[in-house]
Amino acid sequence: MTKSWYSDLPQYYQRQIKAAGLDEAGLTRRRLLKGMAATAGVAMAGLSSRPSRAAAQMTYMCWEGYNDPRIMDPFKKANDVDIAFDLIVDSPGGFAKLQAGASREVDLVSSDMPWITRLGPAGLAHELNPSEYEDVYATFYDQFKPPFEPLLHEGKTIGVATRWGWVGPCINTDITKPEVWKTYDPVFDDANKGKICVMDWGDWPILPMALHAGIDPYQELDQNALEEVRKVLRAMFKNTRMLVADLTQAQKGLLDGSLLGCIGAGSYLTSAVRKQGHKNIIAVVPEPKNGLKQGIIWVEATAILKDTDQPELAQKLLKHVVSKESGHILSLLDSTCNVVTNKAVEELYTPEERDILQVDYMWKAWDNSQMHRIAPNIDEMLAIWQEELAAAQ
Amino acid sequence: MAEEVPRRWRDPELLVKALPTVILQTTCFLAPLVMTFLLTFQRSRNFQLQWTWDLWTWTDIFSKPHYWTILLHTVFMAVACVAICLVIAFPVAYGLATRFKAWENEIKVLITFAFITDATLKIYGWALFLDKNGMANYLLGSLGLSPEIVAFLFTDWATLLGMVYSLLAFAIFTLYLSISNIDRSLILAAYDAGAGKLRAHWEVTLPLCKPGIWAGSVLIFLLSVGAFLEPKVLGGGKSPMSAELIRQTFETRVNWPLGAALTLMLMVVSVFIVLLFSRLIGLKRAGLAS
Repeated sequence: MTKSWYSDLPQYYQRQIKAAGLDEAGLTRRRLLKGMAATAGVAMAGLSSRPSRAAAQMTYMCWEGYNDPRIMDPFKKANDVDIAFDLIVDSPGGFAKLQAGASREVDLVSSDMPWITRLGPAGLAHELNPSEYEDVYATFYDQFKPPFEPLLHEGKTIGVATRWGWVGPCINTDITKPEVWKTYDPVFDDANKGKICVMDWGDWPILPMALHAGIDPYQELDQNALEEVRKVLRAMFKNTRMLVADLTQAQKGLLDGSLLGCIGAGSYLTSAVRKQGHKNIIAVVPEPKNGLKQGIIWVEATAILKDTDQPELAQKLLKHVVSKESGHILSLLDSTCNVVTNKAVEELYTPEERDILQVDYMWKAWDNSQMHRIAPNIDEMLAIWQEELAAAQ
Repeated sequence: MAEEVPRRWRDPELLVKALPTVILQTTCFLAPLVMTFLLTFQRSRNFQLQWTWDLWTWTDIFSKPHYWTILLHTVFMAVACVAICLVIAFPVAYGLATRFKAWENEIKVLITFAFITDATLKIYGWALFLDKNGMANYLLGSLGLSPEIVAFLFTDWATLLGMVYSLLAFAIFTLYLSISNIDRSLILAAYDAGAGKLRAHWEVTLPLCKPGIWAGSVLIFLLSVGAFLEPKVLGGGKSPMSAELIRQTFETRVNWPLGAALTLMLMVVSVFIVLLFSRLIGLKRAGLAS
C-alpha cells in the first residue's frame, strides 16, 4: 500500500480529501477551489449530524428551478456526487461571470439560448457530438432536434435545448380581449396611458417593439433601422406605467387590474399565476405584421463547459436535466411554469397542467414567432434603450 | 543648537506602524480603483471585452447627454433626500436627547429595528402600501376621499419616500450623538444672556450640531447616490438613477469598460460634491472666525 500525504489523517478527513479530488499529485486551480468548497462542506458538516460522503463534486450554473431537489437528488444519489449550484439571476450576468473566470469552476450551465450559443465563440463551451445524445433527442419535439441552428456555432452543437416559451403581450382577459392584442397597437394607444407595464429584462422588451416597427432585429441593422427602433421605444415609454424586473410586480398589476397589459414577457410570466388558478391571465402572440412574425420564442439550453474536469458526469447530468421525469418537474415549478423540449413529458401532463402551460396554444405561438437568437445590433439597441429611458424622465 | 526632529513621515517606527494600513488600502482600495480606471480604456463588442487601449468609452460618455442627465437626476435626488432626512431627523434626535429621556432606549431600539430590517422587505412593503389597491388608498377610500388620491407610486416622489425611509436612521443617530454632547450650560448661558428659546436654538444648539449634521449628510448623500432598489420598485424604473444605469451597463449590456467609467464618474462627482461642501463650510467658519 502506497503512503500518501494524507494517509496519516483520520478516515473521515481522508474521505473528504478524496471527494475533493485532492488525492492526486499536483493541485490545479480547479482542484484547489473545489478543495476549498469541500473544506467549507466539512465545516458545515460539523453543524449537522451526517457529513457528506459524495465521491465527486460538481458545479452547476443555472436558473433557479433547475436545482430543484426533486430533479437533483435522484441524480446525486445515483452518481454519488455533490453538486454546488451557482444560481444566475440574469443570463448576461451569468455569461459575464463565466467569461471572467468562473468557467474554470463550473461544469455545466443552463441559461438562455443566445447566451449558451455565445459560449461557442467565447471558447468556453465543450462542443457536443449529437450522436452521443441520440437517446435524448429521440423523444424531443422535431423542432429542437439537431441540427438546431440557433445552438450551432460554426456548425458545431454548443448545447441542448431544455425549456421554452413565447414572448408576447400578457393580459387579463377579464379586462381586455385577446383579439385587441393581435398587434402591439394598444401599447401606443393614448387611452392606455399609464396602464402598460414593460418588463425590464434586457433585450426582451426591445425586440418585440423593433418587430412592431417593421424592423427585423435579428438582421444586421443600419442607422435608419436603429432610428426606427429609437422612435418605437420613445413612443412605448410615453405610455408606460412602470418598468419592472420583478415578475411578482407585473403579475400583481395584471391580477388587480391596474395594468392592461405587460410586454417584454410572455408565458414565463403568466404560467405561475395560471398555476395558482388565475386562468384569466394569458400570454398571447400578436399576428404577423408587414411580413414579420411578431412573437418571439425563447429557449433555455444547457451546455457543458470546456474546462470541466468531469466531462462524463457533466454529460450524464445534462441528459438527466432533459429527461422525461426532470422535464415534468422543470415545467411546473412554483416560480414559473414552462413547456419543455422533451415531447415525452406531454404524456405526464394532466389536463389541468396542459391548461396551465397553454399547451394547446403553444404551436400557434410558435408559428407566429421568430426564434430568439443573437441579435447582431443588440449593443446599439440597448444603448438606445438607455438613452430613451433617460430622455423620458 | 536644538536636535533636529526627524520629519514624521520619515520616522521608521511610524512607517512600520503604518505599513498594514498602507498595504490594506493599496490592495483593497487603490489597486481595484486603478484596475477599474484601466478597464475604461478597453472596449466591449458583442458582450466580449476587447483589449484595445483607446478613449472610446470616455468619448461616448462625454458625447452623450443621457449619462449626465441621469447623473444630475441622481445628485438632485440625493441632495433632496439629505435635506428631507435632516428636517425630519433633527426634531426626532432633539426630542430623543432632551425630552424623551425616559423612553430613550426603547425608542432607539425601535428605530434600530426599523433600520436593520431587510431593505427589500421595507421597499416592497411600501410598494404594497401605496399601490392603487393598497392600504393607503383603502383607508382614504373608507374616509370618503378619492380612492386614488395617493397616486404617487411609480413617481420620483415615491422613490424619495423610500430613500428617506431607508436612510433616516443615519441622520437621527448622528444628530442624536451631536445633541447629546452639547454642554447644557452653554444653552442656559444663552438664556441668561437674554436669548429666547428660538434664538438660543439658532445661535447655540444648531452651530454645535454641525459635526452631526455634516456626518449625517455625507453618509446619506453617499448612500443615496448608490440607491437602486427604490427607483426600481417605488419609482417604477422609469426614472433611473446612476446605480441602476451602472448595473444595467455591467449586467444587461455586459459593457464592463463603460460600466467602469460610469462608476468612476459617479465616484468623482460624489467626492467632488462632498469636498465642495466641506470647503464651503470651512470657508464659512474662517469668515466667522475673522
